[in-house]
Amino acid sequence: MALLQRINAAARDKVFSLQEAFVLAWNAFRFIFARPFYGQDVIQQMDAIGVQSLGIVVLTGFFTGMVLALQSAVQMQRFGATAYVGSLVTASMIRELGPVLAGLMVAGRVGSGIAAQIGSMRVTEQIDALNVMGTDPIKKLVTPRLIAALLMLPALTVINDVAGIFGGNVIAKYYLQLPTSLYWATVWDQISTGGFVLHFIPNDFVHGLVKPFVFGGIISLTACHFGLRTTGGTEGVGVATTRTVVTASILILVTDYFITQALLALLPA
Amino acid sequence: MMGADDPNDTTVKEPDNAQAAAAGASDEERRATDRRGDDRAADVVHPERVRAAIRKEITADRDADDDPRNTDAQPVIELRDVSLAFDRPILTGVSFEVYPGETVAIVGESGTGKSTIVKLILRLLVADSGEVRVLGNDIEKLTYEQALEIRQHMGMVFQGSALFDSLTVFENIAYPLREHTKLDEDAIEERVREKLRIVDLDPDQVMELAPSELSGGMQKRVGVARGLAANPKIMLYDEPTSGLDPLTTGTITNLILKLQRDLNVTSVVVTHDIRSAFRMATRIALLHDQRIVFFGSPEDMTASDDPYIQTFLGGY
Repeated sequence: MALLQRINAAARDKVFSLQEAFVLAWNAFRFIFARPFYGQDVIQQMDAIGVQSLGIVVLTGFFTGMVLALQSAVQMQRFGATAYVGSLVTASMIRELGPVLAGLMVAGRVGSGIAAQIGSMRVTEQIDALNVMGTDPIKKLVTPRLIAALLMLPALTVINDVAGIFGGNVIAKYYLQLPTSLYWATVWDQISTGGFVLHFIPNDFVHGLVKPFVFGGIISLTACHFGLRTTGGTEGVGVATTRTVVTASILILVTDYFITQALLALLPA
Repeated sequence: MMGADDPNDTTVKEPDNAQAAAAGASDEERRATDRRGDDRAADVVHPERVRAAIRKEITADRDADDDPRNTDAQPVIELRDVSLAFDRPILTGVSFEVYPGETVAIVGESGTGKSTIVKLILRLLVADSGEVRVLGNDIEKLTYEQALEIRQHMGMVFQGSALFDSLTVFENIAYPLREHTKLDEDAIEERVREKLRIVDLDPDQVMELAPSELSGGMQKRVGVARGLAANPKIMLYDEPTSGLDPLTTGTITNLILKLQRDLNVTSVVVTHDIRSAFRMATRIALLHDQRIVFFGSPEDMTASDDPYIQTFLGGY
């Protein structure tokens, strides 16, 4: 009986948590268009989420592009198709690896930071202090982080893609001995043959920019949700941080699949 | 005796003031000796001795006839038959009112729901039943946005100060002014300096410091200054003296008394420090077993024959 009660309580907690997450998301989006606007906070968060993540995003993108070129070259050599390594790296980076890797890296670096910061504010009553001083904590803390993540994730993804394609170029030139001009010709070939939206926006770019936009929302809202729900002092902050990274990472991978399915159906090559 | 607890002495005594610390230590030693004496007679509560000591404490600080309450006016805060439960009952049928200019101390054992009452007044929590009226408004019927507006008339000092650690002392105190007033930066700075002086802190020394660079007592005082920044009608204090040394406890208690006398701010103080409560409160609400078992003046409390009150005061 006690076990059933525990299961019931845990299930109820999960349902309430999910409900809270949706209410938080709704309010955070609603407050984007409501006064007062915390422009300074948005800029600060764009710096924290975007500019300060540049280093790890460039590094992961560059090495992912290199390893992608290296692995695919081994397979493609069997068919004498190593000339198309640029095409493969471009498609993989722009459509999948760029958005997902940037999302996962930002979830780890920024998501954990947001959860820890807001969680600490919760356990030290700073969130209550905001409320008491007539400030809505969602408007002050969540909405600026949401806006910043929605804007910076696509930007980071583009940088990640470019770094990855350059990484592929390094392997193509120095390992596969391919001319640089041939590599970049296959890169452009991949982008131009993937189809266009409105006759001038490559489908690859749509794939590559819709996903990070969604991932930005997932990371910021997940981190803020777990941060605001923090209880139990410093130990609770640790738990909130871990939950944020795990949940955001899983959500990124799961939604990536569904977005890909939807975009492939909507934007056939 | 001029000491840290002297109500007429409102100068700040920092813990690093050697002379004051020495005086505090000797006071502490005397109290420790008294406590050891009490321990020896732990099973015997001497109500008369306790009452005499408390009366001495009250009269040392203020004139009992000097009642700052304006009982002709409407209560500023009113709780009527308020009940609240989470996984267990927290408050049951709690009623009391706070008149303009008075200081009500809510005392009781740990975990009796003292801080919960403050959260109900601020509408950080909503009661299961009953009515909470603040400045004439039934606060639970207000929309969230209306509640935020009402909160702008209230200042709150949190147990752990709750200063924003990403902001400096100046930015912390200026925060409510920047949020809710159209004051220019010069006027804001002047207001911040004024509030820091009220809490006996030197603006030039502390304004640019981060909260983490301040001592616990200084953080509490900055918390009071922030609470006062928007000139609120009501000040709420949640355990303002907890975790502080006796000297700083005296300083904070004096500060609350000073605010009551000089600014006539209506205050609600949640504390487990009965000694401070007697010094600063016009009326005391004693919480026990989810209910208010006593609500009246410190003098009436000491005169009560209720066994629980006697036991509670005996602990003091």
